[in-house]
Amino acid sequence: MPPARDRSARNLHIGILDFRNLLHMDWILAALTAMLIVVGLVNLYSATFGSASGLPRFDGNQDWLESMSTFLNSWVGRQALHFLGGVLLALLVVSIDYKFLVSLGPFFYILVMGLLALVLAWGRIAGGGQRWLAVGFVNLQPSEFMKPALVYMLAWYLSRLGPRIRKLRWFVLAFVMTLVPMVLVAVQPSLSAALALFPIVCVMLFVAGARWWHFGVMGLAGLLPVALVAMQVISYQQYLGELDAYEEAVQASEAYPGPEPTPFDDRSFPLGVKLKSYQLERVLTFLDPERDPADKGYQAIQMRITVGSGQLGGKGFAQGTQTHLSFLPEYHTDLIFALLAEEWGFTGAVTVLALLLAFLLRGTAVAGMCAEPSGTLVAAGCVAVLAFHALVNIAITVGLLPITGMPLPFLSYGGSFCITTLLCVGSIMGVYVRRRQFV
Amino acid sequence: MTKNTERVRFEGLNGRLSWINGGFVLVVAVLVVRLAYLQIAMGEMYADQATGNRIRTYAVKSQRGIVYGRDRSVVLVSNRAAADLCLVPKECEGFEEEVCAHLENLIGVDAARLRAEIEENRAKPYSQIIVRKDITKTELTRVGEMSFALPGVFTIVRPQREYLHGSTGGQLMGWLNEIGREELDRMPGYRRGDVIGRAGIERSYESRLKGKDGRMMVSLHNMGIPQVRTDAFGNPTMALDHRGRAVIEEYREDPRAGSSMFLTLDMDLQAKAEELLEKAENPGTSEPGRGAIVVLNAETGEILTMASVPGYDPNVFVDGEKWRQRGSLLTNEDRRKRMRHRAYQEQFPPGSVFKVMMAVAGLEEGSVREHNTYYCPGHFNIGSARWACWRKQGHGSISVVDALAFSCDVYFYNLGLELGVDRIKKWGGLMGMGELTGVDLPEEITGIVPDPEWKERTHPELDAGSRRWQRGETVNLSIGQGGCSVTPLQTSVMMACVINGGRRVRPYINRDLGPEVSEPFISENTLALVQAGMRKCVEKHDFPSGTGRNAYIEGMHILGKTGTAQVVSRQVYEGMKDEEIPYVLRDHAWFVAGVVDQDPPIALTVFFEHGLHGSSGAAPLAREIIDYFYTECAPRHVQVARAEELP
Repeated sequence: MPPARDRSARNLHIGILDFRNLLHMDWILAALTAMLIVVGLVNLYSATFGSASGLPRFDGNQDWLESMSTFLNSWVGRQALHFLGGVLLALLVVSIDYKFLVSLGPFFYILVMGLLALVLAWGRIAGGGQRWLAVGFVNLQPSEFMKPALVYMLAWYLSRLGPRIRKLRWFVLAFVMTLVPMVLVAVQPSLSAALALFPIVCVMLFVAGARWWHFGVMGLAGLLPVALVAMQVISYQQYLGELDAYEEAVQASEAYPGPEPTPFDDRSFPLGVKLKSYQLERVLTFLDPERDPADKGYQAIQMRITVGSGQLGGKGFAQGTQTHLSFLPEYHTDLIFALLAEEWGFTGAVTVLALLLAFLLRGTAVAGMCAEPSGTLVAAGCVAVLAFHALVNIAITVGLLPITGMPLPFLSYGGSFCITTLLCVGSIMGVYVRRRQFV
Repeated sequence: MTKNTERVRFEGLNGRLSWINGGFVLVVAVLVVRLAYLQIAMGEMYADQATGNRIRTYAVKSQRGIVYGRDRSVVLVSNRAAADLCLVPKECEGFEEEVCAHLENLIGVDAARLRAEIEENRAKPYSQIIVRKDITKTELTRVGEMSFALPGVFTIVRPQREYLHGSTGGQLMGWLNEIGREELDRMPGYRRGDVIGRAGIERSYESRLKGKDGRMMVSLHNMGIPQVRTDAFGNPTMALDHRGRAVIEEYREDPRAGSSMFLTLDMDLQAKAEELLEKAENPGTSEPGRGAIVVLNAETGEILTMASVPGYDPNVFVDGEKWRQRGSLLTNEDRRKRMRHRAYQEQFPPGSVFKVMMAVAGLEEGSVREHNTYYCPGHFNIGSARWACWRKQGHGSISVVDALAFSCDVYFYNLGLELGVDRIKKWGGLMGMGELTGVDLPEEITGIVPDPEWKERTHPELDAGSRRWQRGETVNLSIGQGGCSVTPLQTSVMMACVINGGRRVRPYINRDLGPEVSEPFISENTLALVQAGMRKCVEKHDFPSGTGRNAYIEGMHILGKTGTAQVVSRQVYEGMKDEEIPYVLRDHAWFVAGVVDQDPPIALTVFFEHGLHGSSGAAPLAREIIDYFYTECAPRHVQVARAEELP
């Protein structure tokens, strides 16, 4: 049956780089993306106006050039530039044949691994971790670029593998490919960015047709770290008890109270796997936010108040009291959904959730439309990246998961993540425009 | 499409993608349910918490009530606007050097220290640095004139309690200080930093003078410390916090100022009385005078004057500049007891002043009659014990009128034994001694009129026999010695009884309180005799003249009784001349007096601590007081009363 029967087949442009493909992109996905970007910028304006390097309220008689430079120096302006760069990059990705990109998968993978190693060696230290790489005037976060790189790498690997995926050893090899960058990212330490790699491999293996029981085996293996973490939480609590008892002894008696307990971070654990005390603090705080409301639990409690006080209709645009009076920190980055929920209420929050869900469902639909395995894998992997970030971020914001640094696609401020997000969008669309191509 | 694609598509791809889609939908559904729980089910609670988070309530302090003298022309205590000069570093950014230099030139602050303070506050650029507290009018004008060169410099106005008459009547006005932490738990309506009255009318009329604080509710940034500014009247406003973030005023409730009050005090007379006491002569010592003078309106109990020397200036407790003077006042070591008002917070043996009450009691109880006489040989014996009369050669046969006029001790020894201690105690109480007078001032002391029960109680160290009341002690008590001690206010109340027809008055200082006077409880006959004796004590035309002759004023019907109260046994200074006796061993000089035929009739007490003799130490002061009152003060009182009656 000639492909000419399909009217759209005439529109296929098969060259490696052909901008005419842009005309045939997925307009549903494009519209959803545009809406989310607009929501993100509006929300970011509300989160930052009036603050340091936030936009002032527009008063109509500012000099054009001056206001332009103010704009470009503001949070919103910089985020808009991030989006612009991301969109241009995405359009480029749409125009390039995704199969060419998949064939470059191993190259991307090794390149980003090299960057991660550089970060560990020379990276800029900020916010309790060594995550940034200064390139000229831009600070890059290679751990972000690991996500699309891993998608292309696995797509390359799994599409080559074909049905052999049903063998356990090739299944395990895919996991090993993921674990190596995970470890590199985790030791930065950026636990959340490392965790974000895990759903990619799971979803892609699942799509590629791995056996259910292989997942079961991996699940059991995955229980091991959970057990290790639980063990450490318990021993950390014991350590805190020891510390209290020691301090009490010091206060109560003048006699030598015995040696000070070994600091928790200096203790060794089986298999050498160990969480830092600040990470264990977070876990404990999540389990019981009232534990220390002045400090660690403060954020969790204030976040609930912020989200809850939005009620059904919200407090109105730029009217959030919790966020604008700085009771809740980081509301322009990881916790921006709380601002949305406060100012736009349940209605606004559910609307954005609906947009995100529509986006994800459209993404899986594109994966299903593709006539060729590597395209399906690329689309599914990219959907996995975005889904994981979006759903986990919102689950954190509504208090269902412990607070970790997990940005929300389209809404959170952040250059590298913005570009990652749009690279994923571009990859899905690239698959869409060439969905009827065969090998 | 189907055939070609299935060849390369993953096996069961659509099913697997459906699983993934299902997962997405499920997670989103969970999130929506959670959002609904937080925002709709619990939304109201969280909205309340969000409000509680940002809203803070601040007190707008009320103005304390103003205290006037007898009319509005005399202001005793008021509030002055004290201006504190402040500086906000952010607002003079870039001009710090110039501003500090200007301030050094204008009001002499240390520019280097100010610079250092600005540096310290770098992190909170909108916090206010206090340059100088309570600047003077001149300094304020100088700063005001240069304000164009002083960006970020402004004044905060706060009410400062001001006692306009200084130490005159200072103890009566009392003082203020900040409320203590444990008091806060007991006293609702007070906040930390509030001031509370500690003595005098500031304390007894605290609730009336305090007024009611207003409130100001403001919306704050997290951890924001609002920076208060004030207008010229001291009304606070808040616009910025210490980091320059906006503070929004949400609600304001104005304070209600404390009520003003009028006192019965005549401040001219008060000043005169204090001056008299301070300058009172005490031969052979450089000690400044100590003592108390009480002048009551005998009909009503109005306190016209209640002087106590030495006193203090209450301004030292509220004025930041004078804080150094507080320390010596508040220590117990203050030998001169400047914090205690000698007219009602200290008690002294009354000596012969007590005889007025004894005479009334004797006549009323029928122990003596007008013409009953006792023979005074100059001494009095019970068994082998001997009591002397102050006049060694004796008074001869003497009746009640002369006994009062010449203060014969032996007459009253006999009268006392006739009456017995219980009836002395009873009449002491009736006429105001040994119990509270009920004056509307804090920490009044009861005084002591001893009786057997009192002796039992206060001498637990003695054996049962020695604890029993002895007849000799009744003898001692009869002339106001032997453990008997009263306050000058109490003897004034006693005098008021004698003058106003035998009625007990409750002394008061708050004009609005009004008089509280009992029914007469002393017969006219008794009063006539006692008044005759006391008049004879003062008048000069009889010979020999009475002990109170130094208080005589031509043309006035003055009653008086001297008192010379021993502090130690007379043997200690037997044979010494007056000026040789050590100051603290000297007798107290008393004079109680009353003026019957003038309007208003007054009862007064002059108590001159260690003043040696009632007749020479205290009586002349009484004369000056009476003279001053009826020539200077009384006519004015009439004018004021008339003016107030006008429509």
